[in-house]
Amino acid sequence: MAFLEAIDKDLIKVPMTAKNGKEAVEELVSLYAAKHGLLPSETESVISHVLDREKLGSTAMENGIAIPHAKIEGLKESAVVIGVSRLPIDFGGDKKSSIFFLVLAPAENPAEHIQILSSIAKVCSSELFVRMLSSSKTKEDVYQLFFD
Amino acid sequence: MDAPYKRILVYLDGSEGSMTAAMYAILLAASSKASLHAVYVVNTKALGDLVRSRILIDQEKSEFLSDLQKDAARHIRHTERLASSKDVAITTASIEGSPHKEIVSYIKNNDIDLLVLGSVNVIRSRRDELTSENDRMLRTSPCPVVVVRDSDDNIWQQFEEV
Repeated sequence: MAFLEAIDKDLIKVPMTAKNGKEAVEELVSLYAAKHGLLPSETESVISHVLDREKLGSTAMENGIAIPHAKIEGLKESAVVIGVSRLPIDFGGDKKSSIFFLVLAPAENPAEHIQILSSIAKVCSSELFVRMLSSSKTKEDVYQLFFD
Repeated sequence: MDAPYKRILVYLDGSEGSMTAAMYAILLAASSKASLHAVYVVNTKALGDLVRSRILIDQEKSEFLSDLQKDAARHIRHTERLASSKDVAITTASIEGSPHKEIVSYIKNNDIDLLVLGSVNVIRSRRDELTSENDRMLRTSPCPVVVVRDSDDNIWQQFEEV
């Protein structure tokens, strides 16, 4: 599954309400859990995977974008959850983050995981695109940016 | 009349689509007596870029590299078994680098005259940054390219029947 195929309007949150990094991960994972009917214990497990990964080193980049991600055993297919926050959130980087791409990928498919992360990094290397993304007011705005 | 190709290359990327492409390439080789090559490219270019942009840490890079090398070995083994089941000789390789560049280089260095790819993306965005490796290979290959649809169940059926 390519990055664009993983983008789902139901997995976009604008604006996010999280106040800190932990809440940001919880908010994004909860969106995924609601869409896919995860049990509370499964949701907690995914949150732990993502937070444990962040403890090793923040995925917040200089341009206000964070890409938390985790390999999940037995996940059927990769998912990307996108969040845009009006107020930048401290996600452990030098600069606060206002755009989040949560990537969940099957542990069994490392090539797809890398491909999706790589696509996000490439598309976010455009300053114009990042400005447009951060000024999106609705999930439809965000979705449209990728499929223009 | 002989087939207009003598050396076929199929690109493996760990996807189901590339395995369907491998089956089709084996069928082509069996029916044309062309020699068959299969190459998996471990995308170390992407790994390096992701570390530089701080999306991956060094420890993760090492883990992913190891996982991708295992993935490459698994898919190559599987392709070798598929080829063997049809009595088709196959040359396989696992290469590290930027996939589309490595494939173009392999084509030139080995006089490949037909490249077989799994499906390319449906065009859903005009953003060049989102062009997949298969798309890049399709556009830059110096030899003719066959694109195999991964939704094509006929190929699996054909493979079983031959």
